[in-house]
Amino acid sequence: MKKNSFYLLTGCIALTLLGVFWYSVEIHNPLLIEIAFIAGVVLIGLARRNVTDLIEDERCAKITEKAALRTFQVFWVVLCAFSIGAVMQILYVPAFPREHFANVTARPPEIIGPRLMGYFQLFLLCLMIFLYVGFRIYYARKYGDWEIDEE
Amino acid sequence: MKNKIKVYRAMHDLTQEDLARAIGVTRQTILAIEKGKYVPSLDLAFKIARYFQVTIEDVFQYDEVHITIEVD
Repeated sequence: MKKNSFYLLTGCIALTLLGVFWYSVEIHNPLLIEIAFIAGVVLIGLARRNVTDLIEDERCAKITEKAALRTFQVFWVVLCAFSIGAVMQILYVPAFPREHFANVTARPPEIIGPRLMGYFQLFLLCLMIFLYVGFRIYYARKYGDWEIDEE
Repeated sequence: MKNKIKVYRAMHDLTQEDLARAIGVTRQTILAIEKGKYVPSLDLAFKIARYFQVTIEDVFQYDEVHITIEVD
């Protein structure tokens, strides 16, 4: 498979996934997009193996490695901070007045609702993508990806 | 790390693309090495030196950095 065919296939898979995403929102079935996303990534991975004219040398590998490491170093701090907030939801026990113990319907107030958690997840997802792309551009520039040829 | 890849390329009348194809890397990697933006691995350095049939020291020169420690 040629490099351009691979990019075309990747674009088609991305568009299909977008369609599946909207459909799973419509029918309110998150499992559909989750399975489709994994299948899409596997398909892209398999197609990438068959690309004949795509050279990935040690400099490309180093750029990817460095960008991934730096993304992980920043991302885990943010993820842990949000996760600690979510764990608070489990551990939070409000100090009810004594008379409320008799009332079995009493519930602790929600700190982070499921909708807000969804927004947090979206923020984390965007942050991870932006961090990776940002670091990748930085390291590609550092290791001479956009150097001007003197030949 | 300084290198004489450009000199050896000129001696062998090779373009960056030719050299890159011969040793299995991208042209951008050869350009980055020539400009000193990227230090190649020992494996790649050997490949380049072997391609020109010279030793690694002929192609790559380690740039010694002298650090002066001031003693009070």
